[in-house]
Amino acid sequence: MIDTNTKEKSFFYIRALLVFFFLMTCVSGCTLSNGIKHYIRPGLDINNINKVAVLPFENFTADRFAADKIKSLVVIDLLSRGIDVVEPGEVMVLLREMKVRSLESITSENIEQIGKILKVQAVMTGSVGVFKVSRGVEVSYPEVSISLIMYEAENSDIIWSTWHTTGGADFWTRHFGAEGNTLDETAKILISDVLDTIY
Amino acid sequence: MKLYKKYILTFMILVTGMLSGCGGNSPIYHISPDVDFSFFKNVAVLPLDNLTNDKAAGEIVKQLVISELLASGLVDVVIPGEVMSSISELGIQNISSLNKSQIKALGNALNVEAVIIGSVDQYGDVKLGNLSAPEVTITLMMADVESGNIIWSITLTRGGLDFMARHFGASSETMSEIVQGVVREAIQTLFEY
Repeated sequence: MIDTNTKEKSFFYIRALLVFFFLMTCVSGCTLSNGIKHYIRPGLDINNINKVAVLPFENFTADRFAADKIKSLVVIDLLSRGIDVVEPGEVMVLLREMKVRSLESITSENIEQIGKILKVQAVMTGSVGVFKVSRGVEVSYPEVSISLIMYEAENSDIIWSTWHTTGGADFWTRHFGAEGNTLDETAKILISDVLDTIY
Repeated sequence: MKLYKKYILTFMILVTGMLSGCGGNSPIYHISPDVDFSFFKNVAVLPLDNLTNDKAAGEIVKQLVISELLASGLVDVVIPGEVMSSISELGIQNISSLNKSQIKALGNALNVEAVIIGSVDQYGDVKLGNLSAPEVTITLMMADVESGNIIWSITLTRGGLDFMARHFGASSETMSEIVQGVVREAIQTLFEY
Protein backbone atom coordinates (compact mmCIF):
# COMPACT_ATOMS: atom_id res chain seq x y z
CA MET A 1 0.00 0.00 0.00
CA ILE A 2 1.39 3.35 -1.07
CA ASP A 3 0.74 6.21 1.28
CA THR A 4 -0.19 9.71 0.04
CA ASN A 5 3.13 11.18 1.07
CA THR A 6 5.18 8.78 -1.12
CA LYS A 7 2.82 9.34 -4.05
CA GLU A 8 3.19 13.12 -3.75
CA LYS A 9 6.95 12.73 -3.55
CA SER A 10 7.18 10.68 -6.74
CA PHE A 11 4.88 13.12 -8.58
CA PHE A 12 7.15 15.95 -7.52
CA TYR A 13 10.24 14.14 -8.89
CA ILE A 14 8.55 13.45 -12.21
CA ARG A 15 7.46 17.08 -12.51
CA ALA A 16 10.92 18.31 -11.56
CA LEU A 17 12.54 16.02 -14.14
CA LEU A 18 10.13 17.15 -16.85
CA VAL A 19 10.87 20.81 -16.12
CA PHE A 20 14.59 20.09 -16.10
CA PHE A 21 14.53 18.30 -19.47
CA PHE A 22 12.38 21.04 -20.93
CA LEU A 23 14.87 23.69 -19.83
CA MET A 24 17.80 21.63 -21.10
CA THR A 25 16.10 21.22 -24.48
CA CYS A 26 15.42 24.94 -24.69
CA VAL A 27 18.99 25.84 -23.85
CA SER A 28 20.77 23.21 -25.90
CA GLY A 29 18.41 23.63 -28.82
CA CYS A 30 19.25 27.28 -29.32
CA THR A 31 21.78 26.57 -32.04
CA LEU A 32 19.77 23.92 -33.80
CA SER A 33 17.21 26.07 -35.55
CA ASN A 34 18.96 27.61 -38.52
CA GLY A 35 16.52 29.35 -40.82
CA ILE A 36 17.91 30.30 -44.22
CA LYS A 37 18.43 34.04 -44.24
CA HIS A 38 18.34 35.30 -47.79
CA TYR A 39 17.70 38.34 -49.93
CA ILE A 40 15.19 38.59 -52.76
CA ARG A 41 14.87 41.89 -54.53
CA PRO A 42 11.51 43.38 -53.62
CA GLY A 43 9.02 43.14 -56.46
CA LEU A 44 10.93 40.40 -58.28
CA ASP A 45 8.71 38.16 -60.40
CA ILE A 46 10.58 34.87 -60.34
CA ASN A 47 8.38 33.54 -63.16
CA ASN A 48 10.31 35.79 -65.52
CA ILE A 49 13.54 33.96 -64.72
CA ASN A 50 13.32 30.85 -66.86
CA LYS A 51 16.84 30.55 -68.17
CA VAL A 52 19.96 30.87 -66.06
CA ALA A 53 23.71 30.72 -66.69
CA VAL A 54 25.60 29.24 -63.76
CA LEU A 55 29.20 30.44 -63.70
CA PRO A 56 31.97 28.31 -62.20
CA PHE A 57 32.00 28.56 -58.41
CA GLU A 58 34.89 29.81 -56.30
CA ASN A 59 36.44 27.15 -54.14
CA PHE A 60 37.64 28.04 -50.64
CA THR A 61 38.06 24.45 -49.49
CA ALA A 62 40.90 21.97 -49.44
CA ASP A 63 38.93 19.68 -51.78
CA ARG A 64 39.88 20.90 -55.23
CA PHE A 65 36.76 19.43 -56.82
CA ALA A 66 34.31 20.86 -54.27
CA ALA A 67 33.29 23.86 -56.40
CA ASP A 68 32.60 21.68 -59.46
CA LYS A 69 30.65 19.15 -57.42
CA ILE A 70 28.47 21.83 -55.83
CA LYS A 71 27.97 23.62 -59.14
CA SER A 72 26.79 20.39 -60.78
CA LEU A 73 24.35 19.79 -57.94
CA VAL A 74 23.01 23.34 -58.28
CA VAL A 75 22.56 22.89 -62.05
CA ILE A 76 20.77 19.54 -61.58
CA ASP A 77 18.51 20.97 -58.89
CA LEU A 78 17.63 23.98 -61.06
CA LEU A 79 16.85 21.70 -64.02
CA SER A 80 14.66 19.52 -61.81
CA ARG A 81 12.66 22.63 -60.94
CA GLY A 82 11.99 23.31 -64.61
CA ILE A 83 14.56 26.09 -64.97
CA ASP A 84 16.54 26.04 -68.19
CA VAL A 85 20.28 26.10 -67.48
CA VAL A 86 22.93 26.90 -70.09
CA GLU A 87 25.33 24.06 -70.83
CA PRO A 88 28.36 24.61 -68.51
CA GLY A 89 30.75 24.14 -71.44
CA GLU A 90 29.14 27.08 -73.25
CA VAL A 91 29.72 29.27 -70.20
CA MET A 92 33.37 28.24 -69.98
CA VAL A 93 33.98 29.00 -73.66
CA LEU A 94 32.37 32.41 -73.30
CA LEU A 95 34.37 33.30 -70.18
CA ARG A 96 37.54 32.38 -72.05
CA GLU A 97 36.50 34.51 -75.03
CA MET A 98 35.71 37.41 -72.70
CA LYS A 99 39.13 36.95 -71.08
CA VAL A 100 37.70 36.77 -67.57
CA ARG A 101 40.76 35.85 -65.58
CA SER A 102 39.27 35.32 -62.16
CA LEU A 103 35.76 34.72 -60.93
CA GLU A 104 36.06 37.31 -58.16
CA SER A 105 36.67 40.03 -60.75
CA ILE A 106 33.47 39.61 -62.76
CA THR A 107 32.00 43.05 -63.34
CA SER A 108 28.50 44.32 -64.13
CA GLU A 109 29.56 44.71 -67.73
CA ASN A 110 30.63 41.05 -67.87
CA ILE A 111 27.30 39.90 -66.42
CA GLU A 112 25.28 41.94 -68.89
CA GLN A 113 27.43 40.63 -71.74
CA ILE A 114 26.97 37.02 -70.61
CA GLY A 115 23.23 37.62 -70.42
CA LYS A 116 23.08 38.98 -73.96
CA ILE A 117 25.27 36.35 -75.59
CA LEU A 118 23.79 33.34 -73.82
CA LYS A 119 20.26 34.78 -73.94
CA VAL A 120 19.57 34.19 -70.25
CA GLN A 121 17.52 36.23 -67.80
CA ALA A 122 19.85 35.63 -64.87
CA VAL A 123 23.44 34.80 -64.08
CA MET A 124 24.38 32.85 -60.97
CA THR A 125 27.69 32.98 -59.16
CA GLY A 126 28.68 31.12 -56.04
CA SER A 127 31.36 29.85 -53.75
CA VAL A 128 31.96 26.86 -51.53
CA GLY A 129 33.32 27.74 -48.09
CA VAL A 130 33.37 24.28 -46.51
CA PHE A 131 32.99 20.82 -48.03
CA LYS A 132 34.40 18.17 -45.77
CA VAL A 133 33.76 15.61 -43.10
CA SER A 134 34.50 17.39 -39.82
CA ARG A 135 35.54 15.56 -36.72
CA GLY A 136 33.95 16.20 -33.35
CA VAL A 137 35.23 14.78 -30.09
CA GLU A 138 33.86 11.32 -30.77
CA VAL A 139 31.85 11.62 -33.96
CA SER A 140 32.45 12.82 -37.48
CA TYR A 141 29.83 14.55 -39.58
CA PRO A 142 29.58 16.17 -43.01
CA GLU A 143 29.83 19.95 -43.15
CA VAL A 144 29.00 22.04 -46.21
CA SER A 145 28.63 25.79 -46.55
CA ILE A 146 27.88 27.68 -49.74
CA SER A 147 27.18 31.19 -50.93
CA LEU A 148 25.04 31.91 -54.00
CA ILE A 149 24.22 35.17 -55.75
CA MET A 150 21.87 35.60 -58.71
CA TYR A 151 22.11 38.68 -60.91
CA GLU A 152 19.53 39.96 -63.35
CA ALA A 153 21.28 39.75 -66.71
CA GLU A 154 19.65 42.87 -68.13
CA ASN A 155 21.01 45.33 -65.55
CA SER A 156 23.35 43.17 -63.40
CA ASP A 157 21.35 43.92 -60.22
CA ILE A 158 21.54 41.35 -57.44
CA ILE A 159 18.11 39.72 -57.35
CA TRP A 160 18.77 36.91 -54.88
CA SER A 161 21.55 36.02 -52.51
CA THR A 162 22.09 33.62 -49.68
CA TRP A 163 24.78 32.02 -47.55
CA HIS A 164 23.93 28.79 -45.84
CA THR A 165 25.57 25.97 -43.95
CA THR A 166 24.52 22.57 -42.72
CA GLY A 167 24.71 22.19 -39.00
CA GLY A 168 27.12 19.88 -37.25
CA ALA A 169 26.29 16.45 -35.93
CA ASP A 170 22.61 16.05 -35.14
CA PHE A 171 21.20 14.93 -31.80
CA TRP A 172 21.25 11.20 -32.67
CA THR A 173 24.77 11.25 -34.06
CA ARG A 174 26.10 13.32 -31.19
CA HIS A 175 24.56 11.28 -28.41
CA PHE A 176 24.12 7.80 -29.85
CA GLY A 177 26.70 7.72 -32.65
CA ALA A 178 23.98 7.13 -35.25
CA GLU A 179 25.04 7.27 -38.91
CA GLY A 180 23.93 10.50 -40.52
CA ASN A 181 23.88 11.58 -44.16
CA THR A 182 26.96 11.31 -46.35
CA LEU A 183 28.80 14.41 -47.57
CA ASP A 184 27.11 14.28 -50.99
CA GLU A 185 23.67 13.73 -49.50
CA THR A 186 24.23 16.65 -47.15
CA ALA A 187 25.27 18.87 -50.05
CA LYS A 188 22.17 17.86 -52.03
CA ILE A 189 19.89 18.66 -49.09
CA LEU A 190 21.62 21.98 -48.50
CA ILE A 191 21.26 23.04 -52.15
CA SER A 192 17.66 21.96 -52.27
CA ASP A 193 16.88 23.94 -49.09
CA VAL A 194 18.69 26.99 -50.44
CA LEU A 195 16.93 26.93 -53.82
CA ASP A 196 13.59 26.47 -52.06
CA THR A 197 13.97 30.08 -50.92
CA ILE A 198 13.64 31.33 -54.49
CA TYR A 199 11.89 28.66 -56.62
CA MET B 1 10.82 17.09 1.58
CA LYS B 2 11.15 20.87 1.41
CA LEU B 3 14.93 20.56 1.58
CA TYR B 4 14.89 18.12 -1.37
CA LYS B 5 12.83 20.55 -3.40
CA LYS B 6 15.30 23.31 -2.69
CA TYR B 7 18.27 21.14 -3.73
CA ILE B 8 16.67 20.09 -6.99
CA LEU B 9 15.60 23.62 -7.82
CA THR B 10 19.07 24.98 -7.09
CA PHE B 11 20.67 22.23 -9.22
CA MET B 12 18.36 22.96 -12.15
CA ILE B 13 18.98 26.70 -12.00
CA LEU B 14 22.72 26.17 -11.71
CA VAL B 15 22.96 23.84 -14.73
CA THR B 16 20.69 26.00 -16.87
CA GLY B 17 22.61 29.09 -15.88
CA MET B 18 25.94 27.50 -16.75
CA LEU B 19 24.69 26.37 -20.13
CA SER B 20 22.98 29.56 -21.13
CA GLY B 21 25.80 31.77 -19.93
CA CYS B 22 28.39 30.18 -22.18
CA GLY B 23 28.38 32.71 -24.99
CA GLY B 24 28.29 35.82 -22.91
CA ASN B 25 30.97 37.76 -24.77
CA SER B 26 29.43 41.13 -25.50
CA PRO B 27 30.60 42.84 -28.69
CA ILE B 28 32.76 45.95 -28.62
CA TYR B 29 31.32 48.41 -31.08
CA HIS B 30 31.06 52.06 -31.89
CA ILE B 31 28.44 53.95 -33.88
CA SER B 32 28.78 57.65 -34.60
CA PRO B 33 25.83 59.20 -32.79
CA ASP B 34 25.47 62.11 -35.18
CA VAL B 35 25.14 60.05 -38.36
CA ASP B 36 21.84 59.27 -40.06
CA PHE B 37 22.24 55.68 -41.25
CA SER B 38 19.13 55.82 -43.43
CA PHE B 39 21.23 57.94 -45.79
CA PHE B 40 23.44 54.94 -46.62
CA LYS B 41 21.66 53.00 -49.32
CA ASN B 42 24.57 51.66 -51.37
CA VAL B 43 27.60 50.04 -49.82
CA ALA B 44 30.73 48.37 -51.15
CA VAL B 45 32.39 45.59 -49.17
CA LEU B 46 36.14 45.73 -49.72
CA PRO B 47 38.35 42.64 -49.39
CA LEU B 48 38.95 41.91 -45.71
CA ASP B 49 42.43 41.63 -44.29
CA ASN B 50 43.18 38.04 -43.51
CA LEU B 51 45.25 37.80 -40.33
CA THR B 52 44.80 34.05 -39.99
CA ASN B 53 46.52 30.94 -41.28
CA ASP B 54 43.47 29.95 -43.29
CA LYS B 55 44.01 31.58 -46.67
CA ALA B 56 40.30 31.55 -47.57
CA ALA B 57 39.08 33.09 -44.30
CA GLY B 58 38.97 36.65 -45.64
CA GLU B 59 36.93 35.69 -48.70
CA ILE B 60 34.53 33.45 -46.76
CA VAL B 61 33.79 36.17 -44.22
CA LYS B 62 33.49 38.83 -46.96
CA GLN B 63 30.86 36.79 -48.82
CA LEU B 64 28.98 36.26 -45.60
CA VAL B 65 29.06 39.99 -44.83
CA ILE B 66 27.65 40.74 -48.32
CA SER B 67 24.95 38.11 -47.90
CA GLU B 68 23.95 39.32 -44.44
CA LEU B 69 23.88 42.98 -45.50
CA LEU B 70 21.62 42.14 -48.42
CA ALA B 71 19.41 39.87 -46.32
CA SER B 72 19.01 42.58 -43.70
CA GLY B 73 17.34 44.75 -46.34
CA LEU B 74 19.28 47.76 -45.08
CA VAL B 75 21.45 48.46 -48.08
CA ASP B 76 22.28 47.45 -51.62
CA VAL B 77 25.72 45.97 -52.09
CA VAL B 78 27.98 46.54 -55.09
CA ILE B 79 29.01 43.48 -57.13
CA PRO B 80 32.29 42.18 -55.65
CA GLY B 81 33.94 42.15 -59.08
CA GLU B 82 33.24 45.87 -59.52
CA VAL B 83 35.03 46.54 -56.25
CA MET B 84 38.08 44.57 -57.34
CA SER B 85 38.09 46.33 -60.68
CA SER B 86 37.95 49.81 -59.06
CA ILE B 87 40.70 48.93 -56.60
CA SER B 88 42.88 47.87 -59.47
CA GLU B 89 42.03 50.93 -61.61
CA LEU B 90 42.80 53.30 -58.73
CA GLY B 91 46.12 51.55 -58.18
CA ILE B 92 45.39 50.78 -54.53
CA GLN B 93 48.01 48.33 -53.31
CA ASN B 94 47.18 47.93 -49.65
CA ILE B 95 43.54 47.70 -48.58
CA SER B 96 44.42 47.61 -44.88
CA SER B 97 45.83 51.13 -44.90
CA LEU B 98 43.40 53.19 -46.96
CA ASN B 99 43.56 56.93 -46.48
CA LYS B 100 40.66 59.37 -46.69
CA SER B 101 41.32 60.34 -50.29
CA GLN B 102 41.41 56.69 -51.37
CA ILE B 103 38.12 56.00 -49.57
CA LYS B 104 36.57 59.00 -51.32
CA ALA B 105 37.95 57.91 -54.69
CA LEU B 106 36.61 54.37 -54.23
CA GLY B 107 33.22 55.74 -53.18
CA ASN B 108 33.02 57.93 -56.27
CA ALA B 109 34.14 55.15 -58.59
CA LEU B 110 31.62 52.68 -57.18
CA ASN B 111 28.87 55.23 -56.65
CA VAL B 112 28.30 54.25 -53.02
CA GLU B 113 27.78 56.22 -49.81
CA ALA B 114 29.91 53.96 -47.63
CA VAL B 115 32.54 51.26 -47.81
CA ILE B 116 33.01 48.37 -45.41
CA ILE B 117 36.52 47.40 -44.49
CA GLY B 118 37.86 45.08 -41.83
CA SER B 119 39.81 41.99 -40.97
CA VAL B 120 39.47 38.39 -39.94
CA ASP B 121 41.65 38.14 -36.84
CA GLN B 122 41.00 34.57 -35.82
CA TYR B 123 39.54 31.72 -37.87
CA GLY B 124 40.39 28.25 -36.72
CA ASP B 125 40.49 25.82 -33.87
CA VAL B 126 41.76 26.93 -30.48
CA LYS B 127 43.39 24.19 -28.46
CA LEU B 128 43.55 23.61 -24.73
CA GLY B 129 45.16 20.33 -23.77
CA ASN B 130 43.41 17.60 -25.72
CA LEU B 131 40.43 19.77 -26.50
CA SER B 132 39.86 22.04 -29.45
CA ALA B 133 36.98 24.16 -30.64
CA PRO B 134 36.46 26.58 -33.54
CA GLU B 135 36.82 30.28 -32.81
CA VAL B 136 36.27 33.31 -35.03
CA THR B 137 37.18 36.95 -34.40
CA ILE B 138 36.29 39.64 -36.90
CA THR B 139 36.66 43.39 -37.08
CA LEU B 140 34.38 45.38 -39.35
CA MET B 141 34.28 49.11 -40.02
CA MET B 142 32.08 51.32 -42.15
CA ALA B 143 33.61 54.46 -43.62
CA ASP B 144 31.57 57.36 -44.93
CA VAL B 145 32.96 58.09 -48.40
CA GLU B 146 32.10 61.78 -48.24
CA SER B 147 34.10 62.50 -45.11
CA GLY B 148 36.35 59.44 -45.08
CA ASN B 149 35.48 58.95 -41.39
CA ILE B 150 34.75 55.64 -39.69
CA ILE B 151 31.11 55.77 -38.66
CA TRP B 152 30.63 52.20 -37.38
CA SER B 153 33.10 49.67 -36.09
CA ILE B 154 32.85 46.38 -34.26
CA THR B 155 35.13 43.64 -32.99
CA LEU B 156 33.52 40.37 -32.14
CA THR B 157 34.71 36.93 -31.05
CA ARG B 158 32.57 33.82 -30.95
CA GLY B 159 33.20 30.15 -30.38
CA GLY B 160 36.20 28.81 -28.54
CA LEU B 161 36.22 26.50 -25.58
CA ASP B 162 33.12 27.19 -23.55
CA PHE B 163 32.03 25.51 -20.33
CA MET B 164 30.60 22.43 -22.04
CA ALA B 165 33.63 22.00 -24.29
CA ARG B 166 36.06 22.51 -21.43
CA HIS B 167 34.37 20.15 -18.97
CA PHE B 168 32.54 17.62 -21.11
CA GLY B 169 34.43 17.76 -24.40
CA ALA B 170 31.28 18.85 -26.21
CA SER B 171 31.37 21.42 -28.96
CA SER B 172 27.95 22.10 -30.35
CA GLU B 173 28.65 24.49 -33.24
CA THR B 174 30.64 23.99 -36.41
CA MET B 175 33.06 26.58 -37.76
CA SER B 176 30.52 27.60 -40.41
CA GLU B 177 27.80 28.12 -37.81
CA ILE B 178 30.13 30.18 -35.66
CA VAL B 179 31.26 32.41 -38.53
CA GLN B 180 27.65 32.85 -39.62
CA GLY B 181 26.68 33.78 -36.07
CA VAL B 182 29.51 36.23 -35.59
CA VAL B 183 28.82 38.09 -38.86
CA ARG B 184 25.08 38.11 -38.23
CA GLU B 185 25.59 39.52 -34.75
CA ALA B 186 27.93 42.20 -36.06
CA ILE B 187 25.52 43.31 -38.79
CA GLN B 188 22.69 43.21 -36.25
CA THR B 189 24.28 46.06 -34.28
CA LEU B 190 23.95 48.22 -37.39
CA PHE B 191 20.43 47.01 -38.03
CA GLU B 192 19.31 47.69 -34.46
CA TYR B 193 20.60 51.20 -34.69
